[in-house]
Amino acid sequence: MTSAFKSIRSGLPLLLAIAVLMGLFRIWVPQFLGAENLLDLAQQISVNAILAYGMTLVILIGGIDLSVGAVVALVGTVTVAGLAHHGVALGICAGFAMATLFGIINGVCAAGTRMPPFIITLATMLVARGVALRFNDGRPLAVPDAERFFLGLGNARLFGFLPVPVLLMLAAFTVTAVLLHRTRWGQHLYAIGGNREAARFTGIPLARNEVLVYVLCALLAGLAGMIHASQLYSAEPAAGQGFELNAIAAVVVGGTSFTGGIGSVRGTLIGAIVIGVLDKGLNQAGVHFSLQYIVKGLVILAAVYLDVRRRKQ
Amino acid sequence: MKNIPLKLRWLLIGSVGCLLTGCGDQPASVAPPAGAGRQFGVSFQTMNNPFFVDLNEGLKKSIEAHGDRLTTLDAQFNSLKQKNDISDLIQQQPAAIFINPVNWEGIKGSLLEAKRKNIPVIIVDAPVSDPDLVLCQVASDNVEAGRLACEALAQIKPNARIVILHLSVNKACIDRVDGFKAELARHPGMKVLDVQEGKGTTEAARPVMRDLLGRFPDLDAAFPINDPSALGCISAIESAGKLGQVTVVTVDGSREGAAAIVSGKLHSTSAQYPGEIGRVAAEKAYDHLAGKPVAKDVKIPVKLVTKANASEFLK
Repeated sequence: MTSAFKSIRSGLPLLLAIAVLMGLFRIWVPQFLGAENLLDLAQQISVNAILAYGMTLVILIGGIDLSVGAVVALVGTVTVAGLAHHGVALGICAGFAMATLFGIINGVCAAGTRMPPFIITLATMLVARGVALRFNDGRPLAVPDAERFFLGLGNARLFGFLPVPVLLMLAAFTVTAVLLHRTRWGQHLYAIGGNREAARFTGIPLARNEVLVYVLCALLAGLAGMIHASQLYSAEPAAGQGFELNAIAAVVVGGTSFTGGIGSVRGTLIGAIVIGVLDKGLNQAGVHFSLQYIVKGLVILAAVYLDVRRRKQ
Repeated sequence: MKNIPLKLRWLLIGSVGCLLTGCGDQPASVAPPAGAGRQFGVSFQTMNNPFFVDLNEGLKKSIEAHGDRLTTLDAQFNSLKQKNDISDLIQQQPAAIFINPVNWEGIKGSLLEAKRKNIPVIIVDAPVSDPDLVLCQVASDNVEAGRLACEALAQIKPNARIVILHLSVNKACIDRVDGFKAELARHPGMKVLDVQEGKGTTEAARPVMRDLLGRFPDLDAAFPINDPSALGCISAIESAGKLGQVTVVTVDGSREGAAAIVSGKLHSTSAQYPGEIGRVAAEKAYDHLAGKPVAKDVKIPVKLVTKANASEFLK
């Protein structure tokens, strides 16, 4: 009970920040809070939010995964190449298999060696990017118009209202949040991130948990990759550059400690919303794109600073 | 439970609720009256290229002359950001939008969205794969630009050993290379050694060209597909000490390119007129809004720039 309230309270400043931002943008952009615009906002943040859930788990255990952006491109490419030749079911399976492979490589290297995750995933990022660029000479692969189901992942609306990517974002949120906050496995992740040595002595299986976290992160990146390819009606081997940084921004704005052990998936979702509101609001208010970068950078800095200061109290 | 700041919670719930309902007293979105202060939007694949800055100026000048305004957005070569940028624009019911696509397949979702909302789309500079979804496409004659580059090279080096630095996701660049190769077929002495991705930027083209210079000792000409990548090539050639030996021809006609021609490092560039592309694109949008028919495919002529006329492009 108390922990539930604590987490509500820890999310409060960010919720307030969202309310203030939305109020401000409402002044400049009359239709900013219209239902259609807000649904559009939810759809726009879906790829980043799904990536950020996985990134939250990885950062919680004191790791980092720089390969997610490249995995987005690779899984999109593998899936679209697969569905063109062997049908949609096999294409999606091949995509997730590819994601799992990279998750296992990241996880096994991080758990089984003393190499820092930053370097491991920097390397696998390059490998994944290279493999993606092997397809179709690095050019985009169009999704055939006949693939109604796959195109629906990114573009369809349930009951003509709720965009499917938003549904997938909420489903991924539920799965990750339940795993992290309602299972013993989730508790173990906090323990590992809080104090690795202590967790080891308590008998928590470090290696297995760590590999699972990286696999889950890669699978979520795979899901994001499929949505991305579907939304763009094509898989782009060069896509997804810098997506890892956007995901990390959502995670830290959402209050997850960069050194591990503290954080929540709910915070991350809120962080992704803050960034999405900023992007959309600044675009629609007609703010020059050069100023947008500056404002976004300053807001991230301020959000993280306030969070760090609050924790100290 | 007692230490929960209950007031704060109510304040939050209240303020969110108030915001979601729009506070009641402000009028809901009002469509701007035609002719006065209409909004237009443009999304560029990158603004890190003087070409697009000039194109944007051309658009902006025409649109502001009509008393309207233009919102310019930079996709940073990120198709997803471009899709999001465009849906932000579409939500505001602009009079028309101009798009310079990152990925000529990937833009389809945005085009369908605009079509659903009945917002005319004009494609500038780089074509898309679904011309039926757009009002019209305004671009340089890129095939001719590539052909002119090859012709200029053939005149001084009929037996050139050539490398091409491509940007193969971009249809405009694909057209340039097609034009180049079509003219090449008429010169049996010339040969393409390799085609590599130079990504259309100075910083990406430089290391690629360095590697090519190391790989092919007999290489004596290069066709980078735009001025920024040509500058990267020249920098690589310069640091390899082969400045006099390797001839570079390109497409663009930017001030930087003209300056490189004047200093003798670049042989030719087929000049495009980005400001003119912007002006014509805006004109087509206004023609359409006035109910006049608009041609589907508008080509803006290009012109070969060599040492003879480079000075007029320095302005």
